[in-house]
Amino acid sequence: MLFTWFMLAGFILLLAPQKLTSKFQFAFAHIFRWPLSIGRNISLSAREQPQLTEVVSRAKYNQLQNHLANLTEELNEERQKVKELSGMRNRLPLEGAGLILAEVITASIEGHIINRGENDGLRKGQFVLGDNSIIGTISDVSPRTAKVELVTETTSNIAVEIGGLKAVIQGDGKNSAKVQLVSTKHKIKIGDKVYACKKPGLLDAAMIIGTVAECTRDNENPLLWDITVESASDIQNLTNVAVIIMNPKK
Amino acid sequence: MHWLRFAVFILIVTVLQASLVDVVAVSRLDIKPDFLLILLVFFSIHCNQQEAIITSFTIGFAADIIGSAMGVRIISFGLFGTLLAYLHGVINIKKMPYQSFAIFISGLLTGILAHFLTLLKSQPTGANAYTVVFLTSVYSSFVGPFLFLPTAWLMHIKTYRFGRR
Repeated sequence: MLFTWFMLAGFILLLAPQKLTSKFQFAFAHIFRWPLSIGRNISLSAREQPQLTEVVSRAKYNQLQNHLANLTEELNEERQKVKELSGMRNRLPLEGAGLILAEVITASIEGHIINRGENDGLRKGQFVLGDNSIIGTISDVSPRTAKVELVTETTSNIAVEIGGLKAVIQGDGKNSAKVQLVSTKHKIKIGDKVYACKKPGLLDAAMIIGTVAECTRDNENPLLWDITVESASDIQNLTNVAVIIMNPKK
Repeated sequence: MHWLRFAVFILIVTVLQASLVDVVAVSRLDIKPDFLLILLVFFSIHCNQQEAIITSFTIGFAADIIGSAMGVRIISFGLFGTLLAYLHGVINIKKMPYQSFAIFISGLLTGILAHFLTLLKSQPTGANAYTVVFLTSVYSSFVGPFLFLPTAWLMHIKTYRFGRR
């Protein structure tokens, strides 16, 4: 009898909408945010390799490289705009955007939970930055916490620009992502940068997502590339992220 | 069974599973032992059937809280924890290799059922789901039996001593 009741409760939880049941997960993450953060910091520091004092850390190096890539792209765009729209003054990329810094409470391949939520102005669909690169979008929000859908998740679909070509990137669930439906007539090479496209109200400037790590002909359709993109930041080891909020309320 | 002790213990293990266990993660797939699975097997073979049902579903709920979708683990852990408790009434799982095997099989079965239930819920699952389930079960089965004695000591449960029978 007891077993039947528990099974019934289990099926109710299983069939209840995710929006409702995720409140349990958010509540747990919020209540135990301190021990979870401490545990996570300990495991991250245990994983870190000893660094030489004369060189910057890999994370810092990646962060600066991504910053440089973003600035270069912004510069190129600005040059383009100057050429095309001479006389018209545009506002700078991300000028009107606010960045909400958040700590990662729990990190997993199936998405990160961060310690900012609806009360801080977070909404579904907003882009999330890690080490100056796009790592995903907000997929679920509670008043004080939110879930980040990572670019590496299979459910993630983000419009991107690669070698001047518009495409869609989808996660492969294995810490990398694939750029979909790019014809082999376009020249794509390893090391090419992949940028998230502008999205009105969510992203004002193209920002780096990652670099092409592998580019081969698709086995199923030889007319298309099979492009594997490696994230520009070490997503699983991030401790802090920033959520882009366009036109924040002052 | 000391239920308050059990609740606090499960809470602590859940927090550890969600954060600190990454220290012992191996390979690119981030394989780590599932302490909640180990506890599921421990309580299923050390408690009476009524207690085993309650502990299995409670541990399943805890696993759901730190998992990707709710309701998935509570069903799989509850079902196989209860089955293991009933099976233990027929076959005694006293020796470490048997305990290890029980953890491995429970890990496989709960993992596969959880995977199907996740698909049923239209939630995303990892690309190497079966590999992860298999390797997690192997890792847990190696670690698990060594955690039985400290767990029994913490929970004030009388346990079997390896090699005496």
